[in-house]
Amino acid sequence: MPSEGGLLDRFVDWLPTTLFFKRAASWILVPYWAHKTPVKPLPGGPHPSFEHGDNVQCMMNLIMPLKVKSPIGRAEAALAIAQNKDAIYAGLNNVGTVHFARFVIVGDNICMFSVYDGDFTNYIRDFIATIGSVFNAVVALVEDGEDVTPCEKNVDAFIQWIHERDLYQVPDTATDFLRDQEALNGDTAMSGNHDDLTLLPRKLVLQLRANPNVSLGNGYRAYPGFSAAQVRERLELGW
Amino acid sequence: MVDASVSQRLVQAIIDNLPKPVPGQRPVHTLGIGVEGKFVASDVARTYCIAEHFNGTPVDASVRFSNGLGGPDRHDGWSDVRGMATRFHLSNGLASDLIGTTLGEFFVRNVDDFFEFSKIAKLAPYKKECWLQKIRDLLQLKFPPRNPYPGETESVDAGALRYADLHRFAQLGVFQVGLIGAPVSYVRAAYHAAHTFWVTAPDGVRRPVRFSWQPVAGVCNTDPKKAPRDDYLREELRERLQRWPARFMLMMMIGEAGDALDDCTKPWPGTRTRIAMGTLTLTKVADNQEEAGERISFNPNRLAPGIDPSEDPILKARLGAYEVSREMRGGCPFKWRPDNAK
Repeated sequence: MPSEGGLLDRFVDWLPTTLFFKRAASWILVPYWAHKTPVKPLPGGPHPSFEHGDNVQCMMNLIMPLKVKSPIGRAEAALAIAQNKDAIYAGLNNVGTVHFARFVIVGDNICMFSVYDGDFTNYIRDFIATIGSVFNAVVALVEDGEDVTPCEKNVDAFIQWIHERDLYQVPDTATDFLRDQEALNGDTAMSGNHDDLTLLPRKLVLQLRANPNVSLGNGYRAYPGFSAAQVRERLELGW
Repeated sequence: MVDASVSQRLVQAIIDNLPKPVPGQRPVHTLGIGVEGKFVASDVARTYCIAEHFNGTPVDASVRFSNGLGGPDRHDGWSDVRGMATRFHLSNGLASDLIGTTLGEFFVRNVDDFFEFSKIAKLAPYKKECWLQKIRDLLQLKFPPRNPYPGETESVDAGALRYADLHRFAQLGVFQVGLIGAPVSYVRAAYHAAHTFWVTAPDGVRRPVRFSWQPVAGVCNTDPKKAPRDDYLREELRERLQRWPARFMLMMMIGEAGDALDDCTKPWPGTRTRIAMGTLTLTKVADNQEEAGERISFNPNRLAPGIDPSEDPILKARLGAYEVSREMRGGCPFKWRPDNAK
């Protein structure tokens, strides 16, 4: 809604839309409020849930910074995937709970985005069993990867390492990330609080400072509630 | 059913908070427009619900689109909740209603919450925040309150925000109302029934569900940076339907154990199974707006056999409150379904 006030009113309404304000806020206000009101990083991956629908078609958005941040490092990553294509596809077929999976290079990160059924820990455990050698080849190119390879001998540490690099999934509804922040701080009361909803922008900004990479929402699904096994069975693709 | 005196108090609480109550008209969603159309169920709808309008035979439908604000003043361009009340006309003169709004989740869980909300979210003078305070807000990385619309002198916004600060269950609904905007057309908004209903399949299986109308033309709001126009939605709809019908898909989400069945402040996850139940085709603005836009009376509890209300306290309260409101304005009598006739 445009302002009908005087020059100062209109200037102040326009100010937050300017690049100048956004930069000044990023350099001064955001660090100041991050210091005054610290926000913890929220954990990645799907929220734990017992419901069937929440445990099929789960999203994994893995971002792994490459050690060599140059076209050479990116080419090494591309080559590692290309050299292991058969192993990856055979492994995915054997795991059997994966709807989609792909490797992507964004900037100097090798990313793995996948949609899978079931528990995250079991998903990674299955991968270690079926394509552990591919993971070892890829993770060797990634910052801090040497700490958890070979993955077959560091299963729990490897799963934790992957979990820490899986993106926080911002809830679909606007205020639910506040509930995630509160839950992380052990605050689960629904009433009797003295919140300030007008602080939502600041809380979001500070959360995105703590979690610079996030998945926005839980993702759209054309056929929610169905597992890879159910889809393959109903389409008579063999299972 | 909620006590009749409670229903009276609910309606009175709404009326008491209106800037200009209009006796003889709806206390909220006062201004609306009646539209005619047909609903055709999808091929799979009958496998989930035995209700007559899901059996695949096209049924006539009456729809009333409305602005959420109560009172006689038309402000189509203001950010506001919009309503889409749909009546499926069934055989033997019976009907099934589905009432949706552009607000996905409500901000109170039950009648007691509503009365508390009414006390806190009182209509109050609404003034533009001065530039100095806006600077202070920006320095705190806060939302400055929106500028009032031309002619807007009172609002419940500040009170609603106070209520949401006290009750986290209300925050999603209140926040969404604040950002809801104004649609470019009544048929370019998605409408959600918010409550849970139970549907019965031919094999007797009962499922908890929530319904939404998805516009085939897509969702589109006006530009909030531009000055709002007060009166465009009726004419836009007339012109649009003269050129071409408008369509909505009826989507039905199936709840799972653990989902909020009786609490309309809580959304269900997007991971729930979603069924396309049919298509509503709107063909013309009704000629008799007194009948189709004013006297027509909807009730979210008027349901065809095969659909049942959940135990949601707000849904139960709406049964009586809509009746009280109807009686106060002389709307068409409530026709109940045969298996629980009054």
